[in-house]
Amino acid sequence: MTQKLFITRENLKKLIQSLKKDCDEFIAPKIEHLDDIVFGDTRNNGEELLDYEGNSIISPRAFLLPQTELLFEIRSAKNCDLIPIEDKKKRVFYGVRPCDIKALVLMRKFFLDEFVDEPYQQKLERSTFIALACGKRCLDKSFCHIIGSGPMAKEGFDLQLIPIRRGYLVEIGSKKGKSIINKHKKLFSKALAQDDREIKKMLENFAEESKKMDFRGLARIMREDKVKTAIWDDIGLRCVVCSGCITLCPTCSCFSIMDRLNGDKGVRLRYCDGCPYAGFTRMAGDNAPFPLHKDHIRRFFEHKLNVDVERYGTPSCVGCGRCIQTCPGNISIKEFIERVIGVTE
Amino acid sequence: MSNEYLPRKAVIEAVVDDTPDTKTFTLRLREKDAGAFRYKPGQFLMLSLVGSGEAPFTFASSPSRDGRFQVSVRNVGTLTHALHQLKEKDIVGVRGPYGNTFPLDKIKHKDILFVAGGCGIAVLRPLIQYVFKNRKDHGRVEIIYGCRSPKDIFYKEEIKSWANNPNSNVYLTVDEPDEPWGGACGVVCVLLPKIKLNPKTAIVFLCGPAVMIKFAIKDILKLGFKEQNIYASLERYMKCGIGKCGHCCIKGKYVCLDGPNFSYAQMKKLGIDA
Repeated sequence: MTQKLFITRENLKKLIQSLKKDCDEFIAPKIEHLDDIVFGDTRNNGEELLDYEGNSIISPRAFLLPQTELLFEIRSAKNCDLIPIEDKKKRVFYGVRPCDIKALVLMRKFFLDEFVDEPYQQKLERSTFIALACGKRCLDKSFCHIIGSGPMAKEGFDLQLIPIRRGYLVEIGSKKGKSIINKHKKLFSKALAQDDREIKKMLENFAEESKKMDFRGLARIMREDKVKTAIWDDIGLRCVVCSGCITLCPTCSCFSIMDRLNGDKGVRLRYCDGCPYAGFTRMAGDNAPFPLHKDHIRRFFEHKLNVDVERYGTPSCVGCGRCIQTCPGNISIKEFIERVIGVTE
Repeated sequence: MSNEYLPRKAVIEAVVDDTPDTKTFTLRLREKDAGAFRYKPGQFLMLSLVGSGEAPFTFASSPSRDGRFQVSVRNVGTLTHALHQLKEKDIVGVRGPYGNTFPLDKIKHKDILFVAGGCGIAVLRPLIQYVFKNRKDHGRVEIIYGCRSPKDIFYKEEIKSWANNPNSNVYLTVDEPDEPWGGACGVVCVLLPKIKLNPKTAIVFLCGPAVMIKFAIKDILKLGFKEQNIYASLERYMKCGIGKCGHCCIKGKYVCLDGPNFSYAQMKKLGIDA
């Protein structure tokens, strides 16, 4: 383990106050409604949770690829006068769980690869990510420890906080993170040997329950189309196209683009779209290359567990369990993995 | 940084009614470096009419003209219906060019078979024009084109002129013949036995409805053509054209980036089988 720093809870609160001064939005976990944990801007209301159990209902993806996002202001539809709408807000994301950090690493690769998606890039460049490692497992539906995205983030954060009894260990993940430390040197001290031992023990506890998943084997089976038809039939039968999975998934990135006009002026916007919908692949003249419902939802599984293994060498299901928790038809990507390959020790 | 989603303005220079439900637009970029819009046969562009939407369309003309290019549009949906209302001097937005090109190196000195159905001819037209422009570099060229009825045939005059090229032939067929039609009748497959190409080395290009591609490939393979020499131009719903929106993804391949032109060997891997 690289050399780590330490911060007390009190000092962490001070750090947060200082970071808030230097950003437009401080996106942090907070409690909403009864006891739901959601990410929201807490810059001016101080509602952020320093630490929390489990994970947020919606991943921080919602701030980088919002449900609807204005791309252009239409000055004149007739003349095709479009002015890009830039999001210049500087955001600090605090308390992001390691699974969502891994999702961000993948989304960054995806949106900046080959053709750069400028709207996403702009928001990403102006953002700082402070990860919060998991001291214990969250939902029984999550499986980050099997898929290898938790309980600690390996990359993709600027700073990572690891909870220990006397406060937090701090790991630096980027230049941005380093400069935050340099600016607030007084708030940090050196980590002690006992802190490292505590983390080691925490990881061992996780490891005891952890079985590693053969994700390459799974991808191969899917690529060769050897998943039993009965499994796809079952998933197709259970999916009611509520779109909960694609809304909550931290690595879902599909969208559509549309124009809203009022007279000759308006906006061109993009909104999240997804494979479960029949209209996602249907073309003009009712030409549907994927006519069967089970083939629509199948794309979700293929993307996460097969396509991205080939493309990025890792599944883009990060095991957060949100899709499982939300599905009214009890479709479980975890169970799918178990049914197809079992989980190997 | 440049925003890839920002369309460039193009002005409509001419509109021609090709068939009762198809118009061909001649477009030209408004900006000064109009010539910079360089594309190769097989590529496509994203055409938008602000307020009505944006969709992928193929370049329907060969890329040699001074910044001018053509797009053929069949009136089938919301956007295409709106496009059909446009007139000369109206402005549309264009982005691109996107997608891969037809394998131009591979067709040198080879026999070539084109099989088109309906508006699929628009996709193949830039390549056909390219081949006839460089006639000496290519072997025998045969074109099979099927339509619903005689009045649905695109580019009628130009197609007649294609048959006048040396060592070339054009075969037409329609599903529903009318009175003066004396030609072949039925799907494109009925004309395949007539072709006189060397199936071992000839390159085949197909574009048309999915069902036509499926059955034509089946018959073409029976004639002894090679899987890796058969190319089809696929059509998918797209919103971005740059591999982000996810609509056109088939088993990890993006029709907009890895396609739209795939060999039959590649198509089989994508689960698109004849």
